[in-house]
Amino acid sequence: MSDEILIKAQGLTKQFISYKKPPGLKGSFSAFFKREKKVKDAVKDFSFEIKKGEIIGLLGPNGAGKTTLMKMFTGIIVPSFGELKILGSNPWERDKNFRKRIALVMGQKSQLWWDIPAMDSFLLLQKYYEVSDEAFKARIDKMSDLLGVKDLLHIHVRKLSLGERMKMELMASLLHNPEVIFLDEPTIGLDLVAQENIRRFIKDYHQENRCSIIITSHYMQDVQALCDRLVLIFDGKKGYDGSLEDFESILGNEKSVSFTFSAPQDRENPLWKDYAATWNEDTTHVDFRVPEDQLRSLSAQIISQCEVDDFATEKLPIERVMKELMNNPEILRQHD
Amino acid sequence: MTNISKWWITIKISWVKHTAYRLNFFLQIIGPSLVFFFVKYNLWSSIYAGEEDLIIKGFDFQAMIQYHLWAFVVSLVAQGHGSWNLAEDIRLGRISSYLIYPFNFWEFHTASWLSFQVIQMGIAGLTLCILGFFGLVTLPSTHLFLFGIGYTLFISLFWFTMQYLTGVLAFWLEETWILRVMLSIVSYFLSGAIIPLDLYPKWMVTFLNYTPFPYLTYYPVKLFLGEAIDLTQGVSIILFWTLFFALINHLVWKRGIKLYTAAGM
Repeated sequence: MSDEILIKAQGLTKQFISYKKPPGLKGSFSAFFKREKKVKDAVKDFSFEIKKGEIIGLLGPNGAGKTTLMKMFTGIIVPSFGELKILGSNPWERDKNFRKRIALVMGQKSQLWWDIPAMDSFLLLQKYYEVSDEAFKARIDKMSDLLGVKDLLHIHVRKLSLGERMKMELMASLLHNPEVIFLDEPTIGLDLVAQENIRRFIKDYHQENRCSIIITSHYMQDVQALCDRLVLIFDGKKGYDGSLEDFESILGNEKSVSFTFSAPQDRENPLWKDYAATWNEDTTHVDFRVPEDQLRSLSAQIISQCEVDDFATEKLPIERVMKELMNNPEILRQHD
Repeated sequence: MTNISKWWITIKISWVKHTAYRLNFFLQIIGPSLVFFFVKYNLWSSIYAGEEDLIIKGFDFQAMIQYHLWAFVVSLVAQGHGSWNLAEDIRLGRISSYLIYPFNFWEFHTASWLSFQVIQMGIAGLTLCILGFFGLVTLPSTHLFLFGIGYTLFISLFWFTMQYLTGVLAFWLEETWILRVMLSIVSYFLSGAIIPLDLYPKWMVTFLNYTPFPYLTYYPVKLFLGEAIDLTQGVSIILFWTLFFALINHLVWKRGIKLYTAAGM
């Protein structure tokens, strides 16, 4: 990763104005003459920097402001206040050279033309982004090969499955070799295999091209597999900005473990008595959390002293942290 | 050169898009004009019914139908494009992609209109061939015919800029279809598409000559019918209104895009 800063946001704020309408016919009638204006801060005083080559996960609950940020970063909407520089440009001025250096993939919205084959859209984008014939052919060949969609390039987009379409969307957005890529929920609605394929493709693409990527997703597997750094947004404000490891330890350096035994166990056994363990009814399965530095020795003791059928540690600690934070955002303030 | 290739490929892709649903497209283009023609045919048939010698302001029944058949052809070429999707695309946040591509939205939309216009010309040509084959219209001299086509295409550019405005107003308005309907109705009446302007009071025609409306139907039809018209005045006034609407469109877009929320993304 280089020290060159590609994205710099300072005090970025976006306000949306809506109008309140009282219920019923009377409400509709009175709202026709007088409407109550409501100003909502979708993003408030948001500041951060992204260096060249970084992959950032932008996380937060629904309505937190992630997509609004993505829209501002790509110049689709204009910030209400604050400063934003991406690749040295003001995104909302929509300079053509700036647009040639970025890409956006929207998981919930197709950017390909629905009624024509994906290849026709690619040819159109080749001209728009002024990609040479050689580079275009090489990139199409390589990406379609990696994503396994070589046979689908000439099929109408409307006839593709969601997973296939998303692969085409990715190809379309990467044809011009962008320096900054914005991925807004790229794996939404996809099955596990398709999610895995997309993740692997993004990771390989990033390793090869050293571009900067900002990704929003509700799937923690995406974040775990791709991101070096997390930025959390709650209610339009930045809640956390740091490494994945630090994020995992927000709730303390503890790991969740679970054991399944072949016979019922004594709840008062000193091995787990002090760990606030949760048992099933016949005491053959237990879950508890243990400090990370004790995990290895304690697990070894349990396995040697008891008849263990199955043993598992937490696969996605960030999912647990995320859930906890979404339920109780106050934790972040205490953590600061 | 690179910019021309961007326009060219957009026109080609738009052809593919327009013709993806052929029957639907054909009906959408020819349907309204055809229905409108038959409504007018019935109207004037009723007025002239039983009075074969009736001449209204120089129009006997045959001349009136000739007038409306040419009005039908002119409307196919000049007023076929409706910017139907523009307002909906803005309202539903579908223009986001075009804000990211290094090809401006107005360029995309205009190239799409040009491609539509080429297909429209083909349909108008075919219609004219059928009408000519059955002797329903009398074709003017080649020179006059080409002149008329050029003039009608020029009017279609004006119609496009005006339709574009009704589309971009969607940044402020929830629904813009009512504007388009109002615009169509007003232009039907004031352009001579329903009643030739010869039947209007003189003072009204004098006033209308400063608006773009008479040049949408009445003047091009008169040109195709081989009658003398003041082309310089027609071209100057349409040019003025086209530039006027282009400027307004530019200003409306500049302000409107600041309100755009890219809903649904």
